[in-house]
Amino acid sequence: MSYVLAKSQNEDIHKAGECGGAVTSILKYLLDEEIVDGVLAISPCDDVYDGIPTFVTDSQDLMKTAGSYHCAPTMIGDLVQKYLFDKKIAVTAKPCDMRAIEELIIRHKINKDNIYVIGLNCGGTVPPVAGRKMIDLFYEADPDDVVSEEIDKGQFIIELADGTEEAVKIHDLENEGYGRRTNCQRCDVKIPRKANIACGNWGAEDGWTFIEINDEKGQEMIDGAKKAGILETKNPAEPAIEGRKKVEGIMIKMANKIQDKMYPTVSEMDEWNRCISCYACRDVCPICWCYENCELNKPFFKDEQNVPPTPIAFQGVRLSHMSFSCVDCGQCDDVCPMDIPVSLIFDKLQKKYFNRTGYVAGVSDDIKPPLYSPEKTEL
Amino acid sequence: MADDLKIVGLLCNWCCYGGADTAGTARMQYPPNIRIIRVMCSGRISPSMVFKAFQEGADGVFVGGCHIGDCHYDAGNYKWSRRSKIVEDILEEFGIEKERFRHEWISASEGEKFKTTMEEFHKTLSALGPLELE
Repeated sequence: MSYVLAKSQNEDIHKAGECGGAVTSILKYLLDEEIVDGVLAISPCDDVYDGIPTFVTDSQDLMKTAGSYHCAPTMIGDLVQKYLFDKKIAVTAKPCDMRAIEELIIRHKINKDNIYVIGLNCGGTVPPVAGRKMIDLFYEADPDDVVSEEIDKGQFIIELADGTEEAVKIHDLENEGYGRRTNCQRCDVKIPRKANIACGNWGAEDGWTFIEINDEKGQEMIDGAKKAGILETKNPAEPAIEGRKKVEGIMIKMANKIQDKMYPTVSEMDEWNRCISCYACRDVCPICWCYENCELNKPFFKDEQNVPPTPIAFQGVRLSHMSFSCVDCGQCDDVCPMDIPVSLIFDKLQKKYFNRTGYVAGVSDDIKPPLYSPEKTEL
Repeated sequence: MADDLKIVGLLCNWCCYGGADTAGTARMQYPPNIRIIRVMCSGRISPSMVFKAFQEGADGVFVGGCHIGDCHYDAGNYKWSRRSKIVEDILEEFGIEKERFRHEWISASEGEKFKTTMEEFHKTLSALGPLELE
């Protein structure tokens, strides 16, 4: 593991990208050298609140994926396993995306050799609708005028087209029920260290991207991009490394505090009783990959005579299948028509499981989650 | 009524099922509430089976397997022992007392242990009363 600071040598990318455009440059290098068939990244659709996953096969189109978005979906792992399994691809991944990818690699649903992961440090994502409303309520700006946003030093900062910035404390936003999605608020994995490289601006000076190289593949990527003359690198100074560590530490500490506050307040039975067994949470879950072979589809788990359905026969089974591998991406919360905080309960169980086994979903090095490993140990 | 308590027992073919058999052939008296389902190995049991039993109206679920180290299939009971911890954690989330779920290692020769385990489990469940799923 080593650290470098990097920025793009390509002027257009340098201008369009965030923090010197290092990520876009690396993606361009991988595409141009035909190391990968395509790149899966996020690009904006109508505005900054509309980040959509885009599969790019021509490096000309990469420009539209440059820049960072906080209204980003967390479905990258799922997309790779469903649609891109047999392709050689590069993908940008937030920590939760990376954790999902890692869990799917363990389950042989993603081929590790086929995938280059450029990890992105993440302080949290913002739900688009609530995000617009939040800017309407807490900022003086019109939501449509915002050209970029940034989370820095505990503040949510928006930038307008004319270059003016406005900042509000995240804490204040979240107290009012806005700000980051709730699963992001309690997320304590901020740097995707399972990715080949992890990029971010923490600790970096302006116009540079701080990159943590996690494995040999990551090193090859950086060296190759440098050789191709598209990336410029330098070694970060000691204070930069310390600064980054400090930012990560503060974020994790904040997350742990929110975890302690959130976990005890959830009253599961009241939440489960609203469940209508629509299967939306299962269908959207990146870890649930069995599809039509899902145990819940078996006739003996069909629960049609009970209205409302008994929660244990649906959520209980789902919990036992994958709660220990929950990566807390929060998509189940997003799709639940009854507004059940599904991810909170699953994440809580993951933490319980962690306390028993030390296994963090998508982060630990175990080859298999302890539940399935043939190891001869008891808990 | 305590006598109406339903216990679903998932017993491994090689040890605990033999243990129940030993208790039977020795004509030991134990509460008749258990409905035994024979499985080939405790490692074959998935948490969903336990939940299904509760959903179908069981008041308690008992799982019996070989002693650690004695598994007929080498490591099945290790797997079950880890899985059982998850079952306990999940039952809690559904308002089911974890005492309603019990697992024990009983060998084929331990008829006496099977009998006492059943007596204890029946006593625990009688104190808790029938399970009412919300």
